[in-house]
Amino acid sequence: MDRRTFLKTSAALGAAGLAAPRLATPALAQNAKVLRFVPQSNLANFDPVWGTQYVVRNAGAMVWDMLYGVDANLKPQRQMVGSEEMSPDGLTWTFKLRPGLKFHDGEPVLAKDVVASLNRWMARDPIGVMIKAIQDELAAVDDTTFRWRLRKPFPKLLFALGKTNVPGAFIMPERIAKTDPFTQITEYVGSGPMKFLKNEWVPGARAAFETFKDYKPRDEPASWLAGGKRMLIDRVEWVIMPDAATASAALQNGEVDWWENPIPDLVPLLRKNKDIRVDIADPLGNVGSFRMNHLLPPFDNPKIRQAVLVGMNQEDYMRAIVGDDEALWKPLPGFFTPGTPLYSEAGGAKVGKGDIETAKKMLKEAGYKGEKVVCVVAQDQPITKAQGDITADLLKQIGFNVDFVATDWGTVGTRRASKAPIAQGGWNMFHTWHAGADAINPAGYPAVRANGDKAWFGWPTVPGVESGIAEWFDAPDEASEKAAIDKTNAAALDGVVYAPTGFFLGYQAWRKNVEGIVKGPLPFVWGVSKA
Amino acid sequence: MLGYISRRVLATIPVMAVVGLFVFSLLYLSPGDPAAIIAGDQATPADIERIRASLGLDRPFLVRFGEWAWRILHGDLGISIFTNLPVTTMIGQRVEPTVSLMCVTLVFAIVVAVPLGVLAAWKAGSLIDRMVMGLAVAGFSVPVFVVGYILAYVFALQLNWLPVQGYTPLSQGLWPWLSNLILPSVTLGLVYIALIARVTRATMLDVLSQDYVRTARAKGLAQHNVLFVHALKNAAVPIVTVIGIGIALLIGGAVVTETVFAIPGLGRLTVDAILRRDYPVIQGVVLLFSFIYVLVNLAIDLFYTILDPRIRY
Repeated sequence: MDRRTFLKTSAALGAAGLAAPRLATPALAQNAKVLRFVPQSNLANFDPVWGTQYVVRNAGAMVWDMLYGVDANLKPQRQMVGSEEMSPDGLTWTFKLRPGLKFHDGEPVLAKDVVASLNRWMARDPIGVMIKAIQDELAAVDDTTFRWRLRKPFPKLLFALGKTNVPGAFIMPERIAKTDPFTQITEYVGSGPMKFLKNEWVPGARAAFETFKDYKPRDEPASWLAGGKRMLIDRVEWVIMPDAATASAALQNGEVDWWENPIPDLVPLLRKNKDIRVDIADPLGNVGSFRMNHLLPPFDNPKIRQAVLVGMNQEDYMRAIVGDDEALWKPLPGFFTPGTPLYSEAGGAKVGKGDIETAKKMLKEAGYKGEKVVCVVAQDQPITKAQGDITADLLKQIGFNVDFVATDWGTVGTRRASKAPIAQGGWNMFHTWHAGADAINPAGYPAVRANGDKAWFGWPTVPGVESGIAEWFDAPDEASEKAAIDKTNAAALDGVVYAPTGFFLGYQAWRKNVEGIVKGPLPFVWGVSKA
Repeated sequence: MLGYISRRVLATIPVMAVVGLFVFSLLYLSPGDPAAIIAGDQATPADIERIRASLGLDRPFLVRFGEWAWRILHGDLGISIFTNLPVTTMIGQRVEPTVSLMCVTLVFAIVVAVPLGVLAAWKAGSLIDRMVMGLAVAGFSVPVFVVGYILAYVFALQLNWLPVQGYTPLSQGLWPWLSNLILPSVTLGLVYIALIARVTRATMLDVLSQDYVRTARAKGLAQHNVLFVHALKNAAVPIVTVIGIGIALLIGGAVVTETVFAIPGLGRLTVDAILRRDYPVIQGVVLLFSFIYVLVNLAIDLFYTILDPRIRY
């Protein structure tokens, strides 16, 4: 082969190689209204029961409808259900589906689909597990009616069916819902206002959704997951952008329309752009947290945990997370979301004020023996990294012997599940945060539970917390609920179930030609229009 | 020659086997559990265990490795733990953007770097030489993401000439395809330009001091003929070697460049898979990259014979 032949052959092969593999590209109607959205993270899987990430829930809420939906007042409202009836003893619920419900494959939504979907959901959802434990029977009565018989009243049933927490009680066709709850589904057929376009899905890059023409919205105005989900756009394209600076530039350049979670550092830049609007994304915000392992020294000693709580300064944590934007944070002497009916500061007078001297004294009195404190910090999550840096400094100031383990979130996720001693890969402390939507009450908030072995990582045992939560579940009215939560909050702070580092909000940003974006715990596309 | 090529192709088999064993072992030993990531914050240890079992992650190392190797031998890279899609499908979705990025970067870098290196050698010690070498040092020193952000700011946000991010398939037209690749290719190409320009300069300096070059000049040949026909051809072997070695640089740089410019390529697929501990995807992509690297080296070796007739296998 001479040089010319070689070069010609190479060029031909190169051209063929470039032309061969192609990404699926959609053919769109000329006037199609397409909303290009940058989600908080990659849609790596699409099973809202199997995968409990918020991003899956957010996409799932477009595709799968729910029996009830929590509205902006945090009350469950009918969504797929047309009517319900509770027996006087509170043990039997009979639900009737509203007419006109259809799946994306054209099949009607039947009661048997609902039963199968709820069975799958109950296997994975903490409240679902509680319901299952008191369930006598869940069965379809006819095509549009199903009945739930319980052995004990469960006043929070409708909330559980309409909550925003993951996993949501999404309704799927029976054939799909019969998939083992620990195995991922492969068919994405819902009855929600948008269809998922599987052939355009490139995990890590993009996902696309198209308006479901046969969707019949409710007559009421939309309010979060409740009301009429009216689609004013034809198509939603999710563009995954792992880099915040790129997302910011793309929004400024008009290449995308809506960015779910701009980082605080870039918000001033976006605010200067006359074509962009910036506002709080979710009024329920987030609760920052660091958890101590209650099984291992030194944090098996409640007095030592209390010393940390007294020494920590929540302002330091919040400024490290959100910067100097005062509108984005507030101190949180408790565990429940500020601004919601159950918010409580009971028992929180000394929490998070940064009283290092008192903390030192308390540590000494508690008999700290200088044990190593293994603080596992995920560096690939800005929120955990910021909190970890503050905590390391705090612990050193108080007088702890800190072993700072810088790692990634995947490793933290595994290591925190270990109850082993430190020498065998255990841990003393890790950081995380909880969605404020989860922290509005104990129903979808496992992080506040304190039932020992069954509790969340750290495995706290605080009987006062558990009795308070039990009282909340059984509470017949709002006053009783509030009293139960006050008791829970005070007990949780006394036992330091975890250390709340403060309450913080985040922004969302969109182009000004987009209207109808609301503040909420997830990005609601219904009611959103684009000029 | 054919015998040589056959031997080299056969030699890739043990190389790939070692790479496969190494990658599989490394992932087995590395911390992190995809089942815990999938299960999410609300899962109980029993839930995590059930997911682990459903994914087959609870079985012994040798069983898992044996099954994986057997599937590889049948051309099956497995199913992604997270997306439930075949790894070959996921790689297939991502090949075009990465191949496009690497090809455009390669062409851009060679077209810029080789003349710059020749120029610097020709004008050795002059201001031009110092400027070229200064640029080369800068190209090496400035991180890829910094260059990317600056270029995006100037050419996309300020001048509005090019898009900030994304990828358009070649099937949708040459300009849409190229417009998405110019900024990433320039960004990624700078390191490569620096490398090739420096090697070209050093090799050319050596060649330009040879007697036959002096003879060519004495014969009255035009300067460009001396430089590009006589000298550069004889300096080509080390330059081609560096270009080949630099493919690894490109693969590494593509990870950052694809992230900065939101290009849905193999680099981002790799990073996402590593962060999630999506073992089948990591294994598939690493095997693919290793295979590409082996093939590139083979191609470079064969290319020597075209550049230098004295080389025969």
